[in-house]
Amino acid sequence: MYTQADKRCSITQLVAHIHSGDCLAIGGGLSWREPMAALRELIRQNIKDLKLVGSAHGIDVDLLCGAGSVAASAESYVGFEQDFGMAINYRRACETSVVKVEDNCCYTLVQQLRAAIQGLPFMPIRSVQGTDFLKLHPEFKTMICPFTGEQLVLVPALKPDVTLIHAHYADQHGNLYIEGPPVADILFAKASKKVIATVEALISHQELARKGVTIPYFYVTALCEVPYGAHPTSCYPRYAYDREHTKHYYQAAKNGNDNFRDNYLKPYVYGCKDHASYLNLIGGQTRLARLEQWNDGIDQWMLLYE
Amino acid sequence: MNKAAKIKNCTLGELMIYQIALSIEDGTLAFHGFGSPLVQLALHLAKCNHAPNLVLVAGATYGINPTPVFLTPTTNDFAMNRGAECHLSIDELFDLAASGRLGRMFLSGLQIDRWGNMNVTRLGNDDRLTLKLPGGGGGCNLSCDAGHITIWTAAHRTHADEKGRRRYRLVNHCDFVTSVGHRTAEGLPRASMSYSGNGPDCIVTDLCIFGFNAEGHAELRSVYPDTSIELVRESTEFEFPVADNLLTAALPEPEMIEFIRQLDPLKIHECELSQDDRVRTFELNEA
Repeated sequence: MYTQADKRCSITQLVAHIHSGDCLAIGGGLSWREPMAALRELIRQNIKDLKLVGSAHGIDVDLLCGAGSVAASAESYVGFEQDFGMAINYRRACETSVVKVEDNCCYTLVQQLRAAIQGLPFMPIRSVQGTDFLKLHPEFKTMICPFTGEQLVLVPALKPDVTLIHAHYADQHGNLYIEGPPVADILFAKASKKVIATVEALISHQELARKGVTIPYFYVTALCEVPYGAHPTSCYPRYAYDREHTKHYYQAAKNGNDNFRDNYLKPYVYGCKDHASYLNLIGGQTRLARLEQWNDGIDQWMLLYE
Repeated sequence: MNKAAKIKNCTLGELMIYQIALSIEDGTLAFHGFGSPLVQLALHLAKCNHAPNLVLVAGATYGINPTPVFLTPTTNDFAMNRGAECHLSIDELFDLAASGRLGRMFLSGLQIDRWGNMNVTRLGNDDRLTLKLPGGGGGCNLSCDAGHITIWTAAHRTHADEKGRRRYRLVNHCDFVTSVGHRTAEGLPRASMSYSGNGPDCIVTDLCIFGFNAEGHAELRSVYPDTSIELVRESTEFEFPVADNLLTAALPEPEMIEFIRQLDPLKIHECELSQDDRVRTFELNEA
């Protein structure tokens, strides 16, 4: 239980809750609400050997792989969908055995988190048997159901060391509000030992209560206000996905590890002493205002993706 | 004269979208997943035509019955979720599947075998990984749980290299089984597993449409106006039976084509197609 009255801290202190070797669950999904500012800080702090667990992810996991922060990945998907295709850094890290491939599937993950949430050692599922996931996960067991006689797969409880989330709002007590799809964030938060969050804005408890509490404060270890903290992923309704920046990222990754280090990590991660200097580098207020203009009409919105 | 009346051709993408849409039953609950613009368009096309009672669950946002502003380059985008009637959570969607209430799901693979097993995890054997693929999301679970599966791929066609070798999409053997079809690689039938779903009932490709016969084997059911059994054989690593009444797949109506073009002004679905296939068109029959 995290009961302190004021959970606010600096992003440096926030990210220091993650230790090398931890099992880390990253919130959001695909190009939506990834805690990117915190991940860049994680890389600057040289936190390594992480085991990542999650559902469908993209640039967040790829960035960590490109920076050499990851030892194993149990994500269910890592890619840029039809937009840019395969996640280059992730692929490279897996293919050179830098990252151990422990792919999982969405419902398996959900059931493993549920077991942790419910204080049970495992949960059963019908699926997965007959696939090669059983080879990747020798910890999955099968049993004959004592009620029906069917063979089921048992998946063990999964309790991540840390869940890292980017939410829209928080009060200082740590109640979080997420607008739009929470993806697996609520399950992660309830199953994890620690939850750390960056938020677009800190607001009063009354204001937060009016919006509704997505994740109650006592799950939350610490939080930090980081406006545009999901960039270049989206955080609607505030800002859309920065496709242009993502394209730039992808090009840098495509041209090899060294190129990615020199042309992406150096300027956008190591070269930025803080989030404000990063925002300045990606184009400052002009660029951010452009990403906020998705709401000015369909044409403006489509222009972002052309 | 409306725009649709002027439409005289359809593209391969539009043909595939229409054929995927035809696999969707009215009144069922179906989920389009992510990274699947052809399927996303097919679900909306089905709902606006023969399947008005379809419970359409958008991938990634889990919104139900949204009316997208336009198709977006990534799936978890608010533009895809406009007007959603209500929302599911990740656990609720997969619970619906596990309890047998997800009627249809759409899955693809970099390798697809004769039984409909698929690989989107990795190429290479257990000791040596040669290509890490993005992974299957929830496809593994849903291939077991969803009532029916539509398989699709826009990369069936293979080209021989200078030594005559081909890298097949429809393969004899999947290097890794991410999602299951009608039989395991060892030939064990699906019925021997305690799955709740019935498995794949079609494969819609850039060359043709397969169904599955009583043994659970892929069987050629339709070709396209510009393809033939021979062409399909050339691009398919495994031998396959051909249906007695082999058909030429029907093309979409002009109004449907217009609907697709309106919903996808950025032509996002073309990302799934090869450069050559983006300009492949079919003349609509003058009826």
